[in-house]
Amino acid sequence: MELEEMQNAWNSLSHRVERQDALSNKLLANVTQQNYQSKFNKVRYSEFAGTMVCYAGAAYLSVHLTQIEDVFAQVLAALAIGLLLLLPVISLASVRALKSVNISSASYLETIHTFGRQKIRFQKLQKINVCLGLLLMLLTLPVLAAIQGKDLSQVPYFWILIFPLFGLVMTAFAYWVLKSYNKTLHDMENQLTDING
Amino acid sequence: MDIADQFTHVIKEHKGLIFKVAALYTNNLEDRNDLYQEIVYQLWKSFGSFYGQSKVSTWMYRVALNTAIYHLKQTKRRVDTIPLEVGADRFADEMDRLEEERIQQLYAHIQLLNLLERGIILLYLEGKSYDEIAAIVGITVSNVGTRISRIREKLRTQITKKQAIWN
Repeated sequence: MELEEMQNAWNSLSHRVERQDALSNKLLANVTQQNYQSKFNKVRYSEFAGTMVCYAGAAYLSVHLTQIEDVFAQVLAALAIGLLLLLPVISLASVRALKSVNISSASYLETIHTFGRQKIRFQKLQKINVCLGLLLMLLTLPVLAAIQGKDLSQVPYFWILIFPLFGLVMTAFAYWVLKSYNKTLHDMENQLTDING
Repeated sequence: MDIADQFTHVIKEHKGLIFKVAALYTNNLEDRNDLYQEIVYQLWKSFGSFYGQSKVSTWMYRVALNTAIYHLKQTKRRVDTIPLEVGADRFADEMDRLEEERIQQLYAHIQLLNLLERGIILLYLEGKSYDEIAAIVGITVSNVGTRISRIREKLRTQITKKQAIWN
């Protein structure tokens, strides 16, 4: 299809579009009377729920920290609390960065570049989050056992088989997730290179 | 006429523009409606500060196209997606098959362009001057010409490739 043919098809579409009524008075009334909830500024339920779970976890570990007698487990618990507080901050900061945009003043090209850069930053932060999240899962295992007064060394093959196996599965999962993030990052970088070319 | 009435008047006059941008950057009816509403909302947000600083259509295209880019992120969609069935849901009854096929083809071709080219081709097909395209997109007028030539070449290559596959 040559540009001229595209122009003809576009003109046909334009004529049809002018005749349809996708724009309702209700939508305009909602927007102008501030009743419309923009999706741009909405923190997704998953982000909110994730933050709550992390903070609840941090609170639980903090409350039970005194019950842990083993110094090593105490250090792990402190690390886990730190991670539980840090993970939502990274996640929300990366999401917020994507939402800070001036739609009306930037040109289209500027917006593409800003979007691309933000998206790349977002993906990198998400990668860090995935790694830290998996580290957290490894840390909490001995910590929770210590809080419940269980001695993991009494569990047959725990330190020599179960824990390393768990770590291996987590590493494989992280590899799979990061591979997907890397692909998106690569696609975005290619798009920006293509646009600048 | 108060500001809400002025806005309503402007939007109604350019409703086709919003629909076409929404259609170009989404691939299903629900997303398209979402983007349509978001564009109207973003236009309303900046309407007070716009106040005739540029042509109404220039301002509207800029806001609509910029909103569309961020809508891609909102829906976590790949950046290079594009509607393939645009128009079919709303106009199928009244459009003849040939015309619909042409529009399908049109969108299939635009799908293969990058985000910048997609914006440029939309404005070009809308009959905008190079000056206006340059103002909306944020590139020089001469660059608009270069980009359009490149798009033309890209489209030709696509056709050649397709013909080669069929032969």
